[in-house]
Amino acid sequence: MSLVATQITKKFRDVTAVDDLSFTVQKGSLFGFLGPNGAGKTTTMRVVLNIIRPDEGQVTWDGTPLNRLGRGFFGYLPEERGLYPKMRVAEHLEFLGRINGLDKRKAQSETERWIERFDLGELRRKRIEELSKGNQQKVQTIGTMLHDPELLILDEPFSGLDPVNTSLLKEVLLEAHQRGKTIIFSSHRMDQVEEICEDIVLIDHGRLILHGNLKQIKRSMGRQILRISLEGDQGFWAKIPGLELLSSRADYQEFRLGGRVDSSHVLKEAMRAGQVIRFELVEPSLDQIFVEKVGGQR
Amino acid sequence: MSLIPVLVKREFTSRVKGPAYIITTILGVVVFIALSFLPPLMERVSQSLIPAQIEIVVLEQPGESSILPFLQQLSEEREGFAVYADESLSESEAYRMVLDQGLSGLLLVDGPLYTLVTPDATNMILNDEIENILNLAVSRWNAVRLGLSAEDMASLFRPVDLRVREVSPLAEDGEELDSATQTQAMVLAYFLLFMIYMALIMYGNMVASGVAEEKSSRIMEVMVSTVKPLELMLGKIIGVGSLGLLQFIIWISTGLLMNTMGSSGTIGTLLGAGESFSSIPLDIVMWFGLYFILGYFFYASIFAAAGALVSRVEEVSQVVSIIMMLIIVGFFGAYVSFLNPNSTFAVVASLVPFTAPMVMFSRIVLGSPALIEVIASVLIMLASVLIGAWVSGKIYSIGILLYGKRPTLRQVLMFIRN
Repeated sequence: MSLVATQITKKFRDVTAVDDLSFTVQKGSLFGFLGPNGAGKTTTMRVVLNIIRPDEGQVTWDGTPLNRLGRGFFGYLPEERGLYPKMRVAEHLEFLGRINGLDKRKAQSETERWIERFDLGELRRKRIEELSKGNQQKVQTIGTMLHDPELLILDEPFSGLDPVNTSLLKEVLLEAHQRGKTIIFSSHRMDQVEEICEDIVLIDHGRLILHGNLKQIKRSMGRQILRISLEGDQGFWAKIPGLELLSSRADYQEFRLGGRVDSSHVLKEAMRAGQVIRFELVEPSLDQIFVEKVGGQR
Repeated sequence: MSLIPVLVKREFTSRVKGPAYIITTILGVVVFIALSFLPPLMERVSQSLIPAQIEIVVLEQPGESSILPFLQQLSEEREGFAVYADESLSESEAYRMVLDQGLSGLLLVDGPLYTLVTPDATNMILNDEIENILNLAVSRWNAVRLGLSAEDMASLFRPVDLRVREVSPLAEDGEELDSATQTQAMVLAYFLLFMIYMALIMYGNMVASGVAEEKSSRIMEVMVSTVKPLELMLGKIIGVGSLGLLQFIIWISTGLLMNTMGSSGTIGTLLGAGESFSSIPLDIVMWFGLYFILGYFFYASIFAAAGALVSRVEEVSQVVSIIMMLIIVGFFGAYVSFLNPNSTFAVVASLVPFTAPMVMFSRIVLGSPALIEVIASVLIMLASVLIGAWVSGKIYSIGILLYGKRPTLRQVLMFIRN
């Protein structure tokens, strides 16, 4: 029971946007789709959505090619948001419901329900162009979910939302997740991906870099990150070969442990330099994995 | 189930309430009403333009004979025409007299050379009137010199009464066309032709900019995830086309309404003028509808493809200019075929899909093209609409996902081949 992409390749003349990419998204999972700008995320999503046909490979859902799935299977929130600026909020939502396969009555009742939920009642007769960016974003998000799609594909769903609406959207997504819907979302905000997603795929230059369960990926990277806070000589670490300073914060310094460096050796050196307040070995954050995996390639 | 009805409805309802649509519709109604008032109005205006009084001073170089007596004779015959001649006046004195007394002008005669000196030199109607009078005087003068009698003169200048009978497969016995009917047919054909031309350009542009708008507002991406590009294109074309059709139905019913009022004499009596508006025959209205629809669908799909090639609405005018050229060529082709609706040029142009909607329609209004030509033109148009939609659909479905640099012609050809 899953979405399976098998060896997808898509070229645009001499540029290979997606290169032999395979991944699996378990049905009902919250899936993070990551990669730097220009990595081929949008192209891959378009292939999954059946907007463009891959040169090679295919995408299936429970073994069925995606183009055979009925209307309304997908809910898609593209990164570049777009609505008809002249249409009115309720009218637009109904229209989006209709083109996603809802009948007229269902489209109307769902529109009402979601307008209520996202607190857009006062704006229902306003034109899209009269709304603030954040409210346009809300309308667009509703339009993606109105028809209760089996598979939600969201590109940067939280951008432009204030904290209140961010948590509202998270709530709505988790609700869909609990009802067994599959959600793929891409984001540059790694903290959000870390918070929500169970599985991820990381691509760069159209190729697969990482794929799997986020916890396992982190574990496999090893506890290589060291956080130290001490009162005394802050420059002590320079004498230890293989220790790389990642960041200096007001409360602690963060280092990457090279392969052959023993953490207890570092601790001894730190204690010699001053009073150690904090000494912690942690798993790398997704942000760090991202930078390491993608940065190393460049 | 196809989504086209939902798309058409959106297209229609989102535009029909827009100010642009309402204003052009009302403007069209006003134009149609004005048109039916136009013939009697024109009559009045042109009457008011003819000067009631023409008074000229004549200064003639002495010669063997003089035109003056003939001009004086005409001034006695014609009301509102007066001639003053005083040999003692110098040219400047004569001109002063014209200015002081507010006369029409000073006519200098020097052998075969006539010069009108007038403070109102740009008044073409006055100049024409004086020229007419002068021509008449000169021919009388010549008649006397040649020893022709008044009867001789009359027979010399009697206009030929040419009657035109048209023979066609549709009207075998040959209907007699009087020149008034012919002029009416011309005016009607020209007017309806102009409407098709305007409609193709106006609604074509509306389609192209609509597509570009969907691209630039990025709604396209959402749409194509659930709607097939061809459905999307057809939805737009039919939606905009139905707006156009509604507009035409409103306009033509206004015209027909004014027409019946005109023929029942309402407008005529209103303005105190006689018969006014020429009647639009129903079959012409039907042909108009048919060629508008065929022409619109053919061009609209090309406009849609053009709109899909740009990223922003501002760029639309650059890509549609080539299509507009074709429409303008069609319009002029139709205009040229007015002169001879059955010439080889007109026949060929009425079969070529780019020009056919305008040329064939004009030919139908003006004359009676062979039935086989009409059938051929309609069939070719139908085929072209399908081929056009297919080719444009290919360009469209690729174009709508492209942003940034506009594809070259060669790339566009590649879209079609793929």
